Amino acid sequence: MTVVRSSASVGKNELIRLLEFKEFRLANGLHLLVGEVHSLPIVSYQVHFAAGSRYERPGITGITHLFEHMMFKGTKELGPEEFSRIIQANGGTLNAFTTTDNTSYYENLPANKLELAVRLEADRLQNLQITPESLEPEREVVRSERKLRSVNTPFGLLIEQLYALAYEQHPYRWPVIGWDHDLKNLTLENCLEYYRTYYAPNNAVVVIVGDVSADEALKTVDRFYGTLPSPPHPRQIITPEKAQRGEKRAVFKKVSQVAAFFASFHIPGISHPDLFPLQILCGALSAGRSSRFFEKLEKPGKAVEAHAEMGHPPFFSMDPGLLQIYAIASPSVPLATLEQEIWEEVEDLRQKTLSREELSKVKKQVRSYFLRNLQTFFFQGLLAGLYQVRAGDFHLLYKILPGYESVTEEDVLRVAQKYLRPENRTLVSLQPVSHSEHEDLGELE
Amino acid sequence: MKTGSPFKTFTLPKVVSSLLPNGLKVHAVLKPGLPLVSIHLIYPYGAEADPPGKAGLSDLMAEMLTLGTQKRSAAQLAADVDGLGATLSAHSGWDSTSLHISGLGEDWEKLMELLLEIHTQPAFLLPEFEQLKQRRIAALVQQKDESQVIADERFQEILFQGTPYDHPVYGNLDTLPSLSGEEVEEFYRSRFSPEGCFLVVVGDFKVEACCRWIETHFPSVTRGHEAKAGEFSPVSLSSIKTIIIDRPDLTQSQIRLGHIGIPHAHPDYLAFEVMNYVLGAGGFSSRLMQKIRSERGYTYGIRASLEGRKKPGPFIVSTFTPTETTFPCVQEILAVERSFVAQGATDQERTEAINFLTGSYPMKFETLSQIAQKIIQTEVNGLGLEYLSAYPERVSAITLEAMARSAREHLHIEKMLVVIVGRAGKFRREFEPLGPVEIRE
Repeated sequence: MTVVRSSASVGKNELIRLLEFKEFRLANGLHLLVGEVHSLPIVSYQVHFAAGSRYERPGITGITHLFEHMMFKGTKELGPEEFSRIIQANGGTLNAFTTTDNTSYYENLPANKLELAVRLEADRLQNLQITPESLEPEREVVRSERKLRSVNTPFGLLIEQLYALAYEQHPYRWPVIGWDHDLKNLTLENCLEYYRTYYAPNNAVVVIVGDVSADEALKTVDRFYGTLPSPPHPRQIITPEKAQRGEKRAVFKKVSQVAAFFASFHIPGISHPDLFPLQILCGALSAGRSSRFFEKLEKPGKAVEAHAEMGHPPFFSMDPGLLQIYAIASPSVPLATLEQEIWEEVEDLRQKTLSREELSKVKKQVRSYFLRNLQTFFFQGLLAGLYQVRAGDFHLLYKILPGYESVTEEDVLRVAQKYLRPENRTLVSLQPVSHSEHEDLGELE
Repeated sequence: MKTGSPFKTFTLPKVVSSLLPNGLKVHAVLKPGLPLVSIHLIYPYGAEADPPGKAGLSDLMAEMLTLGTQKRSAAQLAADVDGLGATLSAHSGWDSTSLHISGLGEDWEKLMELLLEIHTQPAFLLPEFEQLKQRRIAALVQQKDESQVIADERFQEILFQGTPYDHPVYGNLDTLPSLSGEEVEEFYRSRFSPEGCFLVVVGDFKVEACCRWIETHFPSVTRGHEAKAGEFSPVSLSSIKTIIIDRPDLTQSQIRLGHIGIPHAHPDYLAFEVMNYVLGAGGFSSRLMQKIRSERGYTYGIRASLEGRKKPGPFIVSTFTPTETTFPCVQEILAVERSFVAQGATDQERTEAINFLTGSYPMKFETLSQIAQKIIQTEVNGLGLEYLSAYPERVSAITLEAMARSAREHLHIEKMLVVIVGRAGKFRREFEPLGPVEIRE
């Protein structure tokens, strides 16, 4: 066993006091981060793989997420779904999630059951058993999930179209859950190939946060993962998105009680310092009841909802992502009027600096929001794990609070002018239609 | 408190409860670590107190509390709250109404001042009321596109006919437009006096100083006031009844089926909870998930839950499935339930359920809000604070026989209400052999 060990040493600030990670790397490349927190007798065990929909290609969209489901279908030792039953029977909760950039598995369980989680996760990393019989029902489960999350929600398909329009070349253009046609045609061989390519110790970050000793945790992880081989990293070519040179617009028609639009602007990826002033900008527009959108649009009843968002740490995308501005029009307000008012607000931010009071208020809001999220061991683990897997360096988490604090009025003005340009904008509007028009347009899928 | 043999000892956060000389009951929990505090003022009335035809009155009143005081306009109040990086909200549940403010621990006194001002000097400004009402109406119109929300609401409206739980907490499009600002204010004056209120404060703050502050500044309270119990005379079904909310544009049906359950303080509640983990609340360990998702692939998720309320809450099986598998899915759910009641759980299932409920119990005390909600729930539902510490031991003592009895006595499979939101024309006839079928818009 070769172990490289270091303590967090970047950005000495209050977060170090609250959240210190010890870092290890096994000889096979597995990255391990351990946070010792003893306030409750529980632990969060997380395995984050560098496997997301950005690694897919047309024709197999949705494979990352479908395969996440297949990871619960049994190993040489365990039957289908037995993994979940055993963790729960030992007082644990568990789940997994797939994003554009990573697939993550986690168990939150009593601290003295850590070894169980390590053993079962290591087992399915090397001994997964999947068959056509286990694939077929799960394919239908995922298609049902797609209907739940995208097709039968008010705005799911609208957002899919927004990404498909905003990105022309980069894989963020297709949804994580995949296109229905691809889901119907994914094969067992696709799944096995995905497993062989991306599920290896050198493509994973393991995070442990809770009532454990780091040294003991290392020993346990090394015992179960240390002998697993790591293949060479796959050759990955991710086509970057070129700069947008003009506004793009589309219309989506469906049965709806309201009209709405979803717009986006390309912004940088997770490691870029401009994300901090951009987040302050989003806060000024729509965080809280003193925000600009609430006071001018929601409160007087022009919009049912108007919002600017780009995710919060650690959920910034690995590659350049999107800042979204969306608005749902009140029944009596024309969408065009609402849209115009929204862009006037945005333009104001591109012309004038925030007042010192407004900047100070939003800074305090984002700081409080971040601290509130830190309350769970699970979130603390996500923070380290996702910064490591998406940005390649978990130490960036220590730059979040100083990053917000250092934002100036000029920074916000600069990023507003740089990113919220009409040329960088993509917009999809929802146009309500009758049931008969809806049917004439074909089945939603 | 010990949670039982398989797990490390878990000590509940210490709850300092006091009845202050001014009559106010306060539960304070010191949770050092993150510099945060969460403050909840609880009124002993909720949406069950909405007068007939006035659905949404209590929740509307709650939000009006946050829209200005006699000292601060709504805009000023919002600016002051946001300026502290705090969050302020007020909403009604079924049996209580909560006024909640949370922020940084260093600001506890400023937060408490704001809360007290909102509590004692709300402005009830008419322009604010009209705007709020219009916002809520617009939101309700938009909600008509949310099939999950429609399914949840319609199921409970129909199930609880003849009881105070027969309407959505935030009202509906029949009642909301006619509610007036005067009614809201009158409702507040007559029902939401300080009588029966209690405070819960959790976080990293100065407990003693805070309690002294509350005692000095909060108005005196006359204890002993009890919320009036509304009539609870539900309509009971004589057979399975299916109601389909027709939505021809959907490709997937939302399914709810169930009946009225037992109140949270019922002596069989914990036995039902352990039993229901095996039946439908235990995720992939549950019979319903194993059959409906893992074996049949009908759905992404299915869950059975009993909501703990002061009066009997709903027992609901919730799921969704593509249009073409709607009836087979319901048929399979009923088959799983019938087989479960007939055969009961196994000893292994019982052990696993108890291990889950006791082993995961500490995770329910991770955040300030979780701790506060646990305390509020025990107070409102009349369980007593000792319920929290006794829970693991009481759950561990549930026997197979107690589980079987709770299934026999408290599951009413042949008198289930089934509500489906989906394409009625595609599956209506299939449901007719189960019992009466009704189509609604």
